[in-house]
Amino acid sequence: MRIPFLIALTISCLVGSGSADAQIWPLRRYGSAAAKGAAAIPANPQASLVATAGTDTIYFARRGIALDPRIIPTLSAEARWLIANPTMTARIEGYSDQQDTRSYAVAIGEERAAAVRDFLVLHGVAPDRLKVVSWGKESPGTVPQGATAGTAGARVVTVVSDSGGPPLLGRR
Amino acid sequence: MKLRLLLLGAAGVASAAQAQPVSPANPDPTGATVIAIPVLATSRNLETPSGSTWTVANQMTEVIAGDLRSTTRFIVADVKSLRIPSFPEVTAPTYSEWSGVGAKALLTGFVEARSDGRLMIGCYVYDVRQQRELARAGFLVAPADWRRAAHKCADVAYSGVTGNGAMFDSRVAYIAQSGAASAPMKRIAVMDLDGSKLTYVTTGTTLAITPRWSPKTRRLAYTSFEGGEPHVVVVDLASGKEQSLLPGGTSFAPAFAPDGQSLALSVSVNGNTDIYAVNSDGTGLRRLTTSPAIDTEPEFSPDGRHIVFSSDRSGSQQLYVMSDDGTGQRRISFGPGEYGAPAWSEDGKRIAFTNINGGSMRIGTMNVDGTDQDILTSGPYDSQPTWGPSSDHVMFERKNFGTGHTSLFITAVDRPDPHPVATPQDGSDPSWIGREQ
Repeated sequence: MRIPFLIALTISCLVGSGSADAQIWPLRRYGSAAAKGAAAIPANPQASLVATAGTDTIYFARRGIALDPRIIPTLSAEARWLIANPTMTARIEGYSDQQDTRSYAVAIGEERAAAVRDFLVLHGVAPDRLKVVSWGKESPGTVPQGATAGTAGARVVTVVSDSGGPPLLGRR
Repeated sequence: MKLRLLLLGAAGVASAAQAQPVSPANPDPTGATVIAIPVLATSRNLETPSGSTWTVANQMTEVIAGDLRSTTRFIVADVKSLRIPSFPEVTAPTYSEWSGVGAKALLTGFVEARSDGRLMIGCYVYDVRQQRELARAGFLVAPADWRRAAHKCADVAYSGVTGNGAMFDSRVAYIAQSGAASAPMKRIAVMDLDGSKLTYVTTGTTLAITPRWSPKTRRLAYTSFEGGEPHVVVVDLASGKEQSLLPGGTSFAPAFAPDGQSLALSVSVNGNTDIYAVNSDGTGLRRLTTSPAIDTEPEFSPDGRHIVFSSDRSGSQQLYVMSDDGTGQRRISFGPGEYGAPAWSEDGKRIAFTNINGGSMRIGTMNVDGTDQDILTSGPYDSQPTWGPSSDHVMFERKNFGTGHTSLFITAVDRPDPHPVATPQDGSDPSWIGREQ
């Protein structure tokens, strides 16, 4: 059941994005490995994810909710990592930039995080391992302050852990 | 706290009754009114748990003057050189003395300790030039509540002179922020408009945003991030009892209906945010919007029959109005840029908003049909307006990108004069409401 599903996904991704092909085939392989229980648990899951995907943070255009094609390889790698580490769960944290009104910021952060969640599910990660949350514009985190800070916060951070997520309030 | 309104006859003679209607004003829409506020009189200086009546009278006079001075509507005359009016002169002022210092209006009053332990306080407002009384009000209060009586006296003057609603006997809920910018502690605080009676509603261990008053200021709804997902909580301020309104889901942007029986709020399902209504006990959830876009930031009209909200269904965030059952949705904002964080004025006539245009966020107001738009502030980061009970001022948050600090500001809507509202820490996201009588 799962294999034809992934192949169908792979085909759609190959059609949709030429750069993604190299990222897709290993997905199946890792998925198979995970299914056999071969993966070791990383000592530092977040660092392991970043090492695999290059980053745990993807950015959006101001007011944007669509995934930038350039970050598809990153998200594909995140999906592979999650499949390879089946005991891990991920909290998909959406953020808005500072120039959104406060509750609209929560809504668009939620929408961005859901877009990432949907991508990961489409690429084989079980939905019950992913939790979508939105911080709106309340937790500026590592975004640099300054003249451009008003529009620099539109992002989604994938926070992984072995126990359903790190303590609350997330990345500060 | 009980604050009983009295119908005043001659000074010192009072009977329990309903409020004296405020007489038509003598408004000067183009300039400030110079008002003289001599020290309130006290016929016998008696001790109370809050100090002697003379001390209370002096403190009240300072609070009244501070209230009126905080708006552009009034200039408080320097009356130090004048003698303090005698007790009988509270109700029979010598007008020439006050016109001599340039005052167009005069506020007199008295503070008397009663044998039952309460204070009887009276305030009178006069038009000095026309030599007539504009308004009066009297209150029976516990001595500890003298400050609230002072705010009500300031309101008598404010309403009597401007013709607008009361303003100073009001409460503000807001987000008090402290700690590093990268790891802020945000907790909900409530205070009187002048900054007194500040208390914290949440502890700061969990992020909390968007406090909104219930009518009569007995409850607050807010958005809590406890557990990771934003969700609306209703807290009873007297008991401290909290209720998560819709457990297990993502909900935010609460707003009490004016009758306090229900709330409008946003609920997100699979990334899509719509507006719902729910009874204030969490039952009877009903969906009001169904667009695949973001629908959020609902706020009721004062009659409870309409809801203004923001939506990006057109491709950019704009303001919409609908009936309280979700029917009749129509867009009202058509100016440049995006619009969010709407708020409906207490008199029902105007909607305040945040306009986001050219990289700047500014506060504006418009008619409820979107006409007659007026931008009040210069930005670059002014947001989250809330109307005062007088419908002629809005409070909002202003971020200073140089210092990184966010503060509460207040401005008149007809002649904008944004100035800060003092809070002990950074303040944001205010909700301002008149106290129940």
